[in-house]
Amino acid sequence: MMNLDVVGQIVAGEFGSILVREKGGKKLELGDLLISREVNASLILQVFDLVYGSQIPRETHELMSGINLEKMPVNTEIFEPELRNYVLAKVRALAYLNKSANSTKVNLPKILPSFFNEIQLVNKEDLDFLSKDEDSFFVGKIRSGSKVLDADVWLPTKDVFSHHVLIPATTGRGKSNLVKTILWNLLPTKKVGALVLDAHDEYYGRHGLGLKDHNEAKDRLVYYTPSNPPAGANVLTINLQSLKPDHFRGIVTLTEPQEQAIRIYFREFKGDWISAVIQERPTQNPKEVAPITLAILKRIFRLTLGLDLDEDGNVISFNQVFDAGTRGQTVADDIVKDIEDGKIVILDTSRLVDEAELIVGNVIASRIFDRYQNYKVRGQLDRKPIVTIVVEEAPRVIGEDVLKNQNSNIYSIIAKEGRKFNIGLTAITQLTSVIPRTILANMNTKIILGNEMVQERQAIIASASQDLSKDDRNIASLDKGEAIISSIFVPFAIPIKIPLFEDLVKNQNEPKRNIKTKVF
Amino acid sequence: MSDCHLGYQKQESLQKIELNVFETAVSECIKRKIDFILIPGDLFHGNIPEMRVQKFAFKQFRRLYESRIPVYVVYGSHDFSPISNSVIDLLTEVGYLIKVSKQKDAPGNKIVLEFVQDPKTKAKIFGLPGLSAGKELEYYEKLDRKSLEKEEGFKIFLFHSGINELKTKAVAESDFMPISLLPKGFDYYAGGHVHNYSLQEYKDYKKIAYPGTIFAGYHSDLEDSAKGTKRGFILVEFDTKIRKVEFVPIEKVQYKIIEYNANGKKSTSVNLDLLSEIKRFDPEDKIIIIKTWGELISGKTTEIDFTKISEELKEKGAIEVLINRNSLSSKEYSITPASGKNKEEIEINVFKENIGQIKIGKKKLQGTLGVKLAKSLLHELRQSQLVNENKIEYQNRIEQNAFKILGIEIENDS
Repeated sequence: MMNLDVVGQIVAGEFGSILVREKGGKKLELGDLLISREVNASLILQVFDLVYGSQIPRETHELMSGINLEKMPVNTEIFEPELRNYVLAKVRALAYLNKSANSTKVNLPKILPSFFNEIQLVNKEDLDFLSKDEDSFFVGKIRSGSKVLDADVWLPTKDVFSHHVLIPATTGRGKSNLVKTILWNLLPTKKVGALVLDAHDEYYGRHGLGLKDHNEAKDRLVYYTPSNPPAGANVLTINLQSLKPDHFRGIVTLTEPQEQAIRIYFREFKGDWISAVIQERPTQNPKEVAPITLAILKRIFRLTLGLDLDEDGNVISFNQVFDAGTRGQTVADDIVKDIEDGKIVILDTSRLVDEAELIVGNVIASRIFDRYQNYKVRGQLDRKPIVTIVVEEAPRVIGEDVLKNQNSNIYSIIAKEGRKFNIGLTAITQLTSVIPRTILANMNTKIILGNEMVQERQAIIASASQDLSKDDRNIASLDKGEAIISSIFVPFAIPIKIPLFEDLVKNQNEPKRNIKTKVF
Repeated sequence: MSDCHLGYQKQESLQKIELNVFETAVSECIKRKIDFILIPGDLFHGNIPEMRVQKFAFKQFRRLYESRIPVYVVYGSHDFSPISNSVIDLLTEVGYLIKVSKQKDAPGNKIVLEFVQDPKTKAKIFGLPGLSAGKELEYYEKLDRKSLEKEEGFKIFLFHSGINELKTKAVAESDFMPISLLPKGFDYYAGGHVHNYSLQEYKDYKKIAYPGTIFAGYHSDLEDSAKGTKRGFILVEFDTKIRKVEFVPIEKVQYKIIEYNANGKKSTSVNLDLLSEIKRFDPEDKIIIIKTWGELISGKTTEIDFTKISEELKEKGAIEVLINRNSLSSKEYSITPASGKNKEEIEINVFKENIGQIKIGKKKLQGTLGVKLAKSLLHELRQSQLVNENKIEYQNRIEQNAFKILGIEIENDS
């Protein structure tokens, strides 16, 4: 009796490219997950290409088509068309599942599925090995082609974020939705503290749904914005005393005389060094710094930090983020404290130029890095949450050009060494190809969204944790909200569908009804 | 004025100054014929201070009442009571104080405040109290700000909380609240809880003023005063808007502070140095603060004779001598940090690692028994005050339980 679940049969091929004849009408898709059931085991397969197969030679098809098109009075009907013409799916094995009574062991496949085995579409029960751990976060549902299975994908929280995450995505493929979804699911856990440099002010939800709508946002989410903060949010003001010359390294291009000048000013004026440059105060030895160098530095600070002088000669900030007076003295420390409490801290950097945004991030990231280095020395690292720093347009800080022409910055240091101290980067980029391989190799989880650029796909595939050499077409055809997770923490490259953020918000449990509060 | 913390001081000499300063402030207000007084919290150091403090307070507020100067208050984090069991409520009952934290009966979860209007100036005064451990944050999260912002006229907001955006390094460790939780558009924000004077303006928040404490509410206030921080109250002139804000200092006492870094020194050297230092100035009529910190390279911290130093200074006329050695430790007797998976484990491990340092004859204070005893004692000392328990009852309960754990019997005098 015919099994209605069967979608195809293995008819030929080789390891890495097995041919499955599609059963008539089943319409296999690129990316479909299939299963070949063996004795006491199964093989999970994935479609990476689709070709036509036929018992009739191609030339005959072309002739018949010509007769049809040229409207010749000849009958070109094919006898038993479903037998003679069909689709062949090229599949590769992703995983070998060894089922025992209590568990399923997952290994890399090393054998071919049984020849002529009937193939089915994977179902939820076949994927029960992707179970939730106590220490894992939800990232989406398994996707088979364009179909979404009712099987959740969980990633180990601490491992993933301490080993860096790369999100390569071109515009319009659902990157914001993905990041919001990840942060939404991280909010309730205290295991990860996150610093999010939000260059488009899109995560908090100032003008619509956002992370602020989470039931636990009050306790677990902190938002800083330069102006008009909504109730409960903080004003983003960084006191100039918090900025040191090192914070500019690798972010602002400075010549050697300029670098020397800022070190001289820092040595002499300490925390007041930036104001001293903008006010062009002379140093003890004025010959140390040429007037032209000082003038250029002043201009650099005006362009990057938005600082200038008012009529009374006081330093003012156009973007209202940096303060030369007494405000914002503890903001950086407060942010670090919140991150160390496992909270998500969003900085609205939409009003800042790139350099200013990265400098602000640098101030905080450097502090966290120093503190976590200290914790490691004192044997206290395991008591602290993992830290992740979410940076958009990552090539600004870890791109090849940046690292070649300038000194390394805190972000590249974290990319290379952060793992030792439980600090990771979550880097979002449209251009993976400009990030050095040494850094890409350290990014052990890649959540790959759709990408139409060949060069970028090649770079992603070359640095993936699994063999994605056959997934070029797959990646090119990923629709909005579809992704592939390639990570050392998953048994195979998992295709997922990321839930719509708006649905996550709508589906969250109603918050507990508060009793009316009495004011004493 | 704010954070008077009446009843805080334990030493008699400082108690006199504490009350004297307050009395001076009241006299100044009467002399200047001010229209009203705002006290945004922590007028008292506890909700039911000692009788001598209560009697004094009644006397002073009666003076203001008879001078027809209303006093508008909110509870602070120290003098609040969830069951209106604070001396503030007694003073309110007799009309000497006016509490402005008034909540309207309104549907829904939001806190809708109503104002108290000063009859003479027509100023509308709203307020929210402080609670212990920053729990007043819940009030602000539920506050119906829109209704306050819509209110017309000259508006004052009384509150007892620190503001994140105005934090300085001195109070960096404190958990304050973001400025965005305050209602916008008020003419004056009278803040309490922060013990140093500050006056700031922000977009949508015209004048946020903290007078600071008038004397002290913490030991660190006296240190700050000794280093030059001025104490006093704020005088505000206004009609339809604020015309002038002036800080009025009250200087009733002089200070001298000795800061000594004992890091890397022997206890004997520290002793000699301090004894020599105190001979270099005249301590008469001054409050002397001796602050030491650092890790001694040899000797115990108890080998530094602070008692003798203190006695010598008092003999020469010092009003009071205050010793701060919280950050003083000894290399020979330092606490070794320990790790653990959770707080419980860490505590046990710290006790285990350090108990060997204590040279003591009693067996039950050594080894595993000692660790167990230390844990039980720590647990007991952590117990918080019950809602219907006053301070004395709380103290007695904790003491009794602690002595029981230590196996010490206390003879009852009665």
